[in-house]
Amino acid sequence: MADDADRGRRRGVTTSSLPPSVIATLPGTYYTDENVFGLEQARIFESMWFCAVRAADLTKPGAFRTVQIGRESVIVSRSKDGSIRAFLNVCRHRGARICTEESGEVRRAFQCPYHAWTYDLDGKLIAAPNLSRMPDIDRVEFGLVKVHVREWLGYVWVCLADEPRPFEEEVQAQVAGRLGDLDAVHNYGIENLALGRRIVYDVKANWKLIVENFMECYHCATIHPELTEVLPEFADGLATQLYVGHGAEFGEGVEGFTVDGSAGVDRIPGVSETQDRRYYGLTVKPTMFLNLVPDHVILHRMFPLAVDRTIVECDWLFRADVVEDGRDIEPSVELFHRVNVQDFDACERCQPAMGSRAYARGGVLVPTEHHIGAFHEWVLDRLGTGQPT
Amino acid sequence: MIPACPLAALPRGEAIRLDADPPIAVFHTEDGELYAIDDTCTHQDASLADGWLEGCEVECPLHASRFDLRTGQVDAPPAKAPVRTHRVVVEDGTVYVEPSDLPPNLPPGVRSRSA
Repeated sequence: MADDADRGRRRGVTTSSLPPSVIATLPGTYYTDENVFGLEQARIFESMWFCAVRAADLTKPGAFRTVQIGRESVIVSRSKDGSIRAFLNVCRHRGARICTEESGEVRRAFQCPYHAWTYDLDGKLIAAPNLSRMPDIDRVEFGLVKVHVREWLGYVWVCLADEPRPFEEEVQAQVAGRLGDLDAVHNYGIENLALGRRIVYDVKANWKLIVENFMECYHCATIHPELTEVLPEFADGLATQLYVGHGAEFGEGVEGFTVDGSAGVDRIPGVSETQDRRYYGLTVKPTMFLNLVPDHVILHRMFPLAVDRTIVECDWLFRADVVEDGRDIEPSVELFHRVNVQDFDACERCQPAMGSRAYARGGVLVPTEHHIGAFHEWVLDRLGTGQPT
Repeated sequence: MIPACPLAALPRGEAIRLDADPPIAVFHTEDGELYAIDDTCTHQDASLADGWLEGCEVECPLHASRFDLRTGQVDAPPAKAPVRTHRVVVEDGTVYVEPSDLPPNLPPGVRSRSA
């Protein structure tokens, strides 16, 4: 427990004030302070690889999505040659938002609705009123500002940093570290799965509450009756994420990862025997959760919009033939939809209390939650502000 | 006649802007035809050579009025007046344009340098 005591001390909480079983959380202000959120936007969301858009949602050249990443609106779109590009959603002329829709399709170019500066699908400035009278305007130099793009698991990851850390180190290492290796996730062939359902949740809670909630299962027996029926070991409150390579086993008599334990749909071809009848949950910092079960994958993307508001987009992905044939995915979707609602309700219950004087110095993490302390250390490290006061 | 460019430098589907007075756009269509029209849209100062070439029409990159390369006629507002068309000749692998004698229809604020 030396580590935990240490952590408590570094948090500015005297060890004598906390019994050895528990360690301190972050103080409440970390969930309410606009300045903290501003730092998180700059040093986390705008600095790291961010899981932004499902690649298959960009069906053809000109299709786009706009997403909020930190303080920036970003256009993610498919260019003429089929590759994916991302740009800051800002006209280089006078700064107007280029795309105001959340998603859409342009035929050939992005055009600013203010003065009609027009950019091709690679971001190059191709036309503007009087442009031919300004031959000194370099069309690439005055093109849309590009951001780094990477496709993995069928999703588009973008990085707003000038010089991103290697994707392998920053993102893939997190997945390999949790599952043991990358093959374990590649077995699910996520990029080949089809979207069975998408539900978007508007959660009135700080993004860290949502991460912390996903990382622990101390709450499972209380708020997730259906999930605990399917995965009985969750009633122990031991987070599955604690052990490398561990997936929670389906209960006896449970036929599938469904709301009533009934059989699911066809198993994903690459899933190994050891992965069968198991649930693997992973947090991929900063804003993505991955849930793997034999017949589908549930993928959460978070978009923190304000210190107390986070949009969560959740995709249920199945074999393409399952979706095309119109198989009944309802019992599968319903299980994790309930889990989501149960979780986000809990986070929304916490958010208003973060500003209470009862929580000024934060709360405590019980032993089955101690690993959340590492997440807190990570946040503090990214913010570079030293220990909370 | 104004020399425009070597034919080989103007692939099908592309256009070139000649710095004549007023500027002229030369198009090489996907079907292999060559056409020249005034480069400036008659609605607002925009280069039609930067526009979207489809068949025998070019769409202004700014506000989507379409001009017929054969006649200079415009299909729909905001542009209302046609552009002039110019004769194109290819000699010894070089594209030449013979500018029209008619007065151009230039947008407000754009004047011919000689006018």
